[in-house]
Amino acid sequence: MKPKIAFFDFASCEGCQLAILNCEDILLDILNLVELVEFREALSETAPRYDVAFIEGSIHRDEDIERLRNIRARATYLVALGACACNGNVQARSNFVAPAVNYGEVYGDEARNRVQVDPDHWGLWSHTRVRPLDAVVKVDAYLRGCPVVPQEFLHLVKSLLQGTQPFFPPNAVCVDCKMNENECVLERGLTCMGPVTWGGCNSICVNKGYVCDGCRGTLPHANVEAHIELMREHKIDDRDIRSRYRLFMGAEPIGRGV
Amino acid sequence: MSYYLATQKEIVDWIRRLAAENRLYFPEKHGAASYRFTRVGPGSDIQFDHYTPTVVPPVKLLVPAREELLHFRTDADGKTEVQPSLDTSFRIIAGVRSCDLKGIFLMDLFFREGVPDAYYLARRENTAIIGYACNTPCDERAFCAAVDSLDHTEGADVYITPVKGGDLLVEVKTKLGEKLTDGVDWKPCEDGAARRIGAVTARPEPFGRTFPAALPEISKIVEKNYESPVWDKHVKRCFSCGTCNLVCPTCYCFDVADDLHLDVASGNRTRSWDGCMLPHFAEVGGGHNFRPEPAARQRHRVNRKFTYLPEKFEHGAACVGCGRCGRQCTSHIDIFDIVTDLIQEGAR
Repeated sequence: MKPKIAFFDFASCEGCQLAILNCEDILLDILNLVELVEFREALSETAPRYDVAFIEGSIHRDEDIERLRNIRARATYLVALGACACNGNVQARSNFVAPAVNYGEVYGDEARNRVQVDPDHWGLWSHTRVRPLDAVVKVDAYLRGCPVVPQEFLHLVKSLLQGTQPFFPPNAVCVDCKMNENECVLERGLTCMGPVTWGGCNSICVNKGYVCDGCRGTLPHANVEAHIELMREHKIDDRDIRSRYRLFMGAEPIGRGV
Repeated sequence: MSYYLATQKEIVDWIRRLAAENRLYFPEKHGAASYRFTRVGPGSDIQFDHYTPTVVPPVKLLVPAREELLHFRTDADGKTEVQPSLDTSFRIIAGVRSCDLKGIFLMDLFFREGVPDAYYLARRENTAIIGYACNTPCDERAFCAAVDSLDHTEGADVYITPVKGGDLLVEVKTKLGEKLTDGVDWKPCEDGAARRIGAVTARPEPFGRTFPAALPEISKIVEKNYESPVWDKHVKRCFSCGTCNLVCPTCYCFDVADDLHLDVASGNRTRSWDGCMLPHFAEVGGGHNFRPEPAARQRHRVNRKFTYLPEKFEHGAACVGCGRCGRQCTSHIDIFDIVTDLIQEGAR
């Protein structure tokens, strides 16, 4: 029997699902080997169980929590798909700003004042904390990045189809940079989240002349203290350091603590 | 062995001629302040001055960051066919400084030892090397003289030394070197050996950084200081990112993985660079990690360079003093500083 695969999304741009659709060379071969039982807008969430559930997006509201727990209960293997699901992504920056301030920023003060006194809109204020999936349920594997790396998705799918554990080494982005023989970003007088960030992305941003912003989340062994010291040595003030940690890692303990 | 005297321009023209007919790599400027061994094409900038060691040593052309070792396929009868992917194409690496020559010399020993590494040797035996002497230290991180690699020329087919008067002394060292220099119209040089000695004695003294102890003593000091506060000192700034391993000319560790295709009958076996400073390196089946702490990993790395490999191969330090680890480390943790601290700790 073919394994049942499902895709779900929460707060996200769905760019990770798009990144997967870009694996067109091999995607049809994979689809022959699995049964796709859930896909947004294609099917309703009624399958009794899933062998593998891929979940994109971060968790914001109470009803998200309920829905996620429900999926978890029916899934044998749950994969966090992309930076939103793995580490909260950029939307977690809103965790540091009061909801009413955010609302005013986006919709203007008049709208904010109007909804603030309207009980029908009070549900909005529960939109107060952006969380990665593992703040709510157990996650079996993480496909990191904004967006995910197609090769890592394929590695995971192939491993599961072959009954082996996918393996993503806990190496910093520096490893990818050295393999690509990049000049260190610090050498260019810039600072970089690479030394504390999960690698495996083939250092694509640095290859293209940018720096690492840390979209793949902090490594379990990240030496954050030394990294902050390093940024300070490069004349980055503490406010900017905090901002860089909160860009992608705001929902992680690291981002909350810096 | 024969000597020639040539001008800078004659040498650059010669390298361009070789590059037109062969795959030739030369350290080319890349980025703000870095060099990379790059395939030379018509537009390449070839110059010998203003060099600092490339981000990654030239040994990357003998052991690439990632390589396919073999392809396998199992047929319906259960018979497996294996197709090794040996790279026997000819290449020339030019502008290789003595630190990197020593690195390649040591890698030759490491990869020939025990079961010879067919993949390394296939490339190595089809590689010509044009070495180039440093008459001044490349920058403040070099300590090649302190680990006896400044005058290493073995492994080069042709070795070039800038001599008094601005000319380049060309030493043709092997049969392959003769082939590379076949038909050149440079001035033959009768007193080549003496000119080489002249260039060596004219170098600044000390050349680059020096240790406050002699090399044989350093081995003993590193070994004796297995328990030392020095191991905890530098790793406070360490990210365990493995950069020091990956840019080291004598780090040869690799990881092997099988990439099975969807048919579950065929696939590729690949290997990629690994490093003992990476947290996962010494983790074994069942999850035990022999060196979970960065301090233990750093101690292991320094011992590899100054005690374990020197004892095993008896060719001196397995550190060539190129300074790459300290230069490339984002926190500038430098093996030179670690060893110096150990020496000073021992003297106290």
